[in-house]
Amino acid sequence: MSVFKRIYKFIASMRFAIALLVVLAVACSVGSLVTQGQSYDWYAQRYSERTAALILALGLDDAFHSAWFIAITGFLCLNLTLCNLTRLPRLIRLAKAEGRPEGALKDPGDVSAANIADPRAVFARLRMPAPIACQTEDGREALFASKHRAGLWGAWVCHLGILLLILGFGLGQMTQEQYAVYGVPGDVKPIGDTGRMLQIDDFTVGLRDDDTVEQYTAKITVYDMNADGAPSQSAEIRVNQPATLFGMKFYQNSTGWAGKVNIAKDGEPLQEAVICAGEYLPVADKPELVVVLNAFYPDYRFVPGEGPSTASGQLNHPAWLYSVYYQGQVLGMNALMADEELTIDEYTVTFTDPQSYTLISVKRDRFTPLALVGGLVTMLGLLLAFYVQPARAWAIRQDDGGWTVHGRCRKGGAIWREDFERAAGTASNEE
Amino acid sequence: MLQIENTLFTIVMLLYFAAMLLYFAFIAVKKDGVAKVAIGLQAAGLALHTAALICRGIGAGRLPLTNQYEFATSFAWGLCLVSLIFVLRFKFPVLGAFASPVTFLIIGYAAMQSKEVRSLMPALRSNWLGFHVSTAIIAYGAFGVSFVLGVIFLLRDRMRNSGFLDQHIPNREKLDVIAYRSVSLGLLFLTFTIVTGAIWAERAWGSYWSWDPKETWSLVTWIIYAAYLHLRLRRGWQGRAAAIFAVVGFACVIFTYIGVNTFLPGVHSYA
Ligand code: HEM
Repeated sequence: MSVFKRIYKFIASMRFAIALLVVLAVACSVGSLVTQGQSYDWYAQRYSERTAALILALGLDDAFHSAWFIAITGFLCLNLTLCNLTRLPRLIRLAKAEGRPEGALKDPGDVSAANIADPRAVFARLRMPAPIACQTEDGREALFASKHRAGLWGAWVCHLGILLLILGFGLGQMTQEQYAVYGVPGDVKPIGDTGRMLQIDDFTVGLRDDDTVEQYTAKITVYDMNADGAPSQSAEIRVNQPATLFGMKFYQNSTGWAGKVNIAKDGEPLQEAVICAGEYLPVADKPELVVVLNAFYPDYRFVPGEGPSTASGQLNHPAWLYSVYYQGQVLGMNALMADEELTIDEYTVTFTDPQSYTLISVKRDRFTPLALVGGLVTMLGLLLAFYVQPARAWAIRQDDGGWTVHGRCRKGGAIWREDFERAAGTASNEE
Repeated sequence: MLQIENTLFTIVMLLYFAAMLLYFAFIAVKKDGVAKVAIGLQAAGLALHTAALICRGIGAGRLPLTNQYEFATSFAWGLCLVSLIFVLRFKFPVLGAFASPVTFLIIGYAAMQSKEVRSLMPALRSNWLGFHVSTAIIAYGAFGVSFVLGVIFLLRDRMRNSGFLDQHIPNREKLDVIAYRSVSLGLLFLTFTIVTGAIWAERAWGSYWSWDPKETWSLVTWIIYAAYLHLRLRRGWQGRAAAIFAVVGFACVIFTYIGVNTFLPGVHSYA
């Protein structure tokens, strides 16, 4: 055998498949045990500097997108493809032969029983279809039945499904577009660089009697600014109920607090804006002065040692946690109660009208259906492989008028042999 | 309803405990009649366990499959169900004797969890959750049975041959086929679990696979059992090596179930 052919055989072999599966399992567990996506400093503090360097060098901080992980998956795909291709012609031949008596009649089978008077009854007890009458090469009368030939395709179909699944997932990862848009009702914001605008028409947080959240509901309208007249499409989205508009899928992702900031200068109103927690607002006539809304607590409490938190979701004791920056330096950070105001030189800042903002994620992945089909095909393959077990039974008339019945079931093993013996009435422990 | 569930749960624990003792007695005194009573108690426990789960479902107004207690008690139910089916299908009460302590441990773990009924966060309010978790219960139950079969397989080699064992523990070849049946049942249902979970994640979070630790570990489990299936197809690897894989696979199941929640935070940490 040439070296080339030997390499090919190895890559298409099941031995290689098992090795790859084990390596993949180890790779996945390593990826889940090392916290993903952290910085060198984070790892150095958590483990040690040497470990941190090793983690970054091996790409363990982003294991599932690392070159070695993709290489293992790639080899698995190659292996599966070659294995399925090599086996296809053999499988077609086998599936054809499985339904015909010729091969079987020469074969002793996995199990057999002699001196059977009524072979058809044995076939029936084995739940085989009605047998066809045929002849052996030496002219004896014979019966043959086969069932569940589709099961032969189980592993092949399962492997195909896995390939489609990996393909769909991989292509999706490479081509998907993902955006996040957040805001309060009335906001109109661009969706990345898609040329589409997202308008938040309404957002409600449905609470149960016990104060827990039942559902987040956002009403949205999307405008396609690329098209003439900017056509629009609207939908209502909830957690677990996304909507598709202009080919993109919109998900109600999460929520947080927002509020209105009023800034006055020397007692005269200067500016007003709604900002979400985490956002900042530069002062209109002095942009190097910046107000940041860090957080909002509807029912503020301060527990020494734990810091600020909220006692409930009700607006019982609202407080705004803010910080102020001047030329990039922190000037101060504090909590402001509802009726308090913050004074910085000639400016006074107040926060009012707490409301919930919504975070909507927007996604387009054209290959999700492919991955879904892959998953469904995999399930079909497994069902075929495990629960549609191909079986054959045949009977040959002997000189004394009795029959010898034979059976074969590739995956039935000892259990099929027992079933067979029971059906043929030759079971050793027959009661 | 929840009161009834509480009472039923206690009775179920007692029944499972009694079934376990009787199974042990069966092995000690080697009388088939004892095994029959043990199987009867297990079946009675299973019936009441089903009733308890239904009561909880009615009491909570939703499927009882959403927190650590509910999942643990359902896991015990799944293991009890699958092991009973295998005991009856293969006339194999020794399997019951080995499976009953595992079932009892899991329901004991359930008893230690908080039984409080909490309202569901919006992400959990989905029909896919029902499919996702109920298929997981069957998968875990089936893997529990393959673990027990693996242990029996490995112990069988060490036990002195006796008429009782030969009569009540199938030979190596048959044990291997029974273990294969339970692994294939488990793998099929684990595949359903992962696919329905992915569909649900896509609807709830906008991403059907995000390498969350629980997802990753269910994939690791899935891969281990896939490797088991291929090993079995290789000559010489059936039996012992496959049995070891079945034991390791179940260790992964348990880690996915309990370990991930404890050690690796992620979106699944609530269940
Ligand atoms: C994640 C990966 C894989 C999964 C889930 C998988 C699944 C399966 C299943 C369920 C079976 C049927 C087993 C049985 O009926 O007992 C099977 C058989 C088989 N697999 Fe895979 N497989 C995978 C990867 C591979 C790879 C990479 C190869 C490449 C060589 C391979 C080669 C085979 C062969 C040769 C069989 C025997 C087919 C038969 O008996 O008809 N598998 N596989």
